[in-house]
Amino acid sequence: MHIQVLSENLQKRISLIQHVISSKSQLPILQHILLEGKEGRLLLSATDLDVGIQVAIPAKILTEGSTLVSARQFIELINSLPSDKVELKSNENSLEVSSLHSKSTFQTLIKEEFPTLYDALGDTITTIDKDILQKEFTKVIFAASTDNARPALTGVLLKREENGFLLVATDAFRLSLKHIVTEGVNSQDPGKYEKLLVQSRVLREAVTLKDEGNVIIHVSSKNNQIIFADTNTTIIGRLIDAEFPLYDDILPSEHSLRFVFNREEMHKAVKISGIFARETDNIVRFSFLKDKVVVSANTAAVGSNMVEVEGVLEGEENEIAFNAKYLLDFFTHVEEEELVFEMQGPLNPGVFKFKSDDSYMHIIMPVRVQS
Amino acid sequence: MEKDLNTAWKTILSTIETKVSRVNYLTLFRQTHLVSVEENIVTIGTTSPMIADMLQKRFYNEIKKSVDDYYQGDYQLNLVTKSIEKKNVSKNDKETLLTFAQEKPLIQLGHLPRVRSEFTFDTLAVSSSNQLAFVSAQTVAKNLGTSYNPLFIYGPVGVGKTHLMHAIANFTYQQSPEKKIIYITSEEFTNEVVEAIRNTETSKMKKRFRSASLLVIDDIQFIAGKDRVQEELFHTFNILIDNGSQIVLSSDRPPSEIKKLEKRLSSRFAGGLTVDIESPDFELKTAILLKKADKYQFDLPIEIAKALAEKASDARSLEGLLLRIITESKTKEQKATLAMVDNALGIEKQESKRLYPEDIIKNVCFFYNIKPTQLKGPKRDAGIVKARQITMYLLKKELELTYVEIGNMLGGRDHTTVMHGVLKVENMLKTPNKISVDIMGITKGIFG
Repeated sequence: MHIQVLSENLQKRISLIQHVISSKSQLPILQHILLEGKEGRLLLSATDLDVGIQVAIPAKILTEGSTLVSARQFIELINSLPSDKVELKSNENSLEVSSLHSKSTFQTLIKEEFPTLYDALGDTITTIDKDILQKEFTKVIFAASTDNARPALTGVLLKREENGFLLVATDAFRLSLKHIVTEGVNSQDPGKYEKLLVQSRVLREAVTLKDEGNVIIHVSSKNNQIIFADTNTTIIGRLIDAEFPLYDDILPSEHSLRFVFNREEMHKAVKISGIFARETDNIVRFSFLKDKVVVSANTAAVGSNMVEVEGVLEGEENEIAFNAKYLLDFFTHVEEEELVFEMQGPLNPGVFKFKSDDSYMHIIMPVRVQS
Repeated sequence: MEKDLNTAWKTILSTIETKVSRVNYLTLFRQTHLVSVEENIVTIGTTSPMIADMLQKRFYNEIKKSVDDYYQGDYQLNLVTKSIEKKNVSKNDKETLLTFAQEKPLIQLGHLPRVRSEFTFDTLAVSSSNQLAFVSAQTVAKNLGTSYNPLFIYGPVGVGKTHLMHAIANFTYQQSPEKKIIYITSEEFTNEVVEAIRNTETSKMKKRFRSASLLVIDDIQFIAGKDRVQEELFHTFNILIDNGSQIVLSSDRPPSEIKKLEKRLSSRFAGGLTVDIESPDFELKTAILLKKADKYQFDLPIEIAKALAEKASDARSLEGLLLRIITESKTKEQKATLAMVDNALGIEKQESKRLYPEDIIKNVCFFYNIKPTQLKGPKRDAGIVKARQITMYLLKKELELTYVEIGNMLGGRDHTTVMHGVLKVENMLKTPNKISVDIMGITKGIFG
């Protein structure tokens, strides 16, 4: 392999690769990047066997070929090169990286040992706008569990609907749900790919895709893989082979209290109360009154506080308590300014919605506290 | 079939484990399973195609060799992406989400750990000696965290403290299984604290205890003198009370009498309701016996029960006696008789009260505050002579030693001297006086 690339092109994309290279990685080979020069592009691939990422960079190919180099040092070197042409030239078991004033040589591994990230893209599920992917998926993914003990909850459900699809994620304490309207959903083969349970990790990577344009989502049912691809980047992840829990029953259908408030103010209030809730399992209490809500917390040995947030109440006055962690998570992952809270008694799940958009819903289990 | 495949794969994996490096094994092999074995193709499932690819590339021969060895043949390997968990997991997840709907997730259903299910309120015999404790325990179980918090139960051994505590836990569990109930002895609590400190996992332990709805700690007196454990308990205590969780404690003495217990703790222990259970009275002991006999489905005549209750000292020994009688009656295939009671008690006595002359001498000396050398020596001060004569009397009466033996034991005295001493004490005992009080005190010391 002998190729020439521009260092800034390399630098722009190489950081994404880093996400799948774990510092404490088990197998030496997984701490390597596969470099492939072909068809006018340099392809960089890395994987942790769970999620794989491949990025393409325009390059001048003098000789095609591929090689495997140590990831950490390679990335660090590339990031410290001046912006100029970089030449990569591989020999039998080394790679020479030369730029304006520097020349480095890497030991390389046999490239055949590196796992193939995917053998075929599989069926196209949908083409989705990158903005939608970033904004809307982000509102859901954070609710997925990271505990591998319950595989089904580590996934995000992608369910086909009439004009798009439905996203659902839950960790059994909270649940996020979003209807996404999008064109370009492949509606051939009704029944096939109607429901996909996608590993939340790969989605977390997918929402970081930065380039302009659309993202195509592919699924290979044979390999149980899901692939997110734009022109330059391909992210490969797993479908989870488990049944997503039946969430329909727990979506509250009615409420006795409805409260409209400003997200940022509430966010601040919960943050402040959170200080006094740290020692008591993060319990923050809410007393909804006619034109405001009182957010409060106390820890016996530390002290207590209360913050008032203005808002508009419909229905009865009532109280409820939540784990502040879940609320903060929610407030940081949504952008809407005007939020609506609905509840039916302090022991039933509380529901957060957007005032101007009813396609989204976030449900949090309350904490039972002594009055 | 599936089970066979599982065991087969486990065996195969164990041979592979010895051939490949540990990291390789952990990252590549651990999540594999055997999908099927047909004619000459073995299908192996992995969680991701990348893993399948790596196994194919790097370990095909190692796996093939182990598979061939196991199935005694020449097999081809087919590596596919297929998850193993599908069937089992889906069911569980439905359950957990259902519990989500009922507002307390992460429940563990099934039997309550460490709590004996047969110890309930129904199986406890109640009489005046434990009625107060019984009623308060029931009240607490019915109104968790709102009636008496903490409930502190104390009393001597074998009066049913542990039974009551188990009963509270069982009752709560039956009423609302989603509540987090922790039953623990104070020794286990100590161990957990120590373990957590050693593994620097204190936050995990704290979380475990502080999230309980009902915390039951048995034999709390054993945390005396353990400062760090007391501190931990103190914080846990405060948080639980704040959260409205119920705490139940038991001890062999009231909080104020537990030595080396920090003041802030003992005052908190006493902050709720402190109830004591007295040693069971005769009626209760009889009732307990009848209840226990019921449990063993043994027909115990009431006279026998009475005879046993009269003689047994605490409730725990009652069960031992009862069991002995049941066994005897079953082997002899006849109903329980009073003779069996004597028998059972006799065995009891032999086992527990093995008496030696030294015990008597020691106790007499202790009682009169003299040294054994003085007792055995030649001095004939009035006080020492009295002690010496009482020793002679007790050695004769309790151990039935000969006068000569007794004489030798007490510094080589003549057997006539001993006879005189024993007779003198016997004569004095015929009328009530101070000597009889002394002897009672000494025998109490000897027999506990």
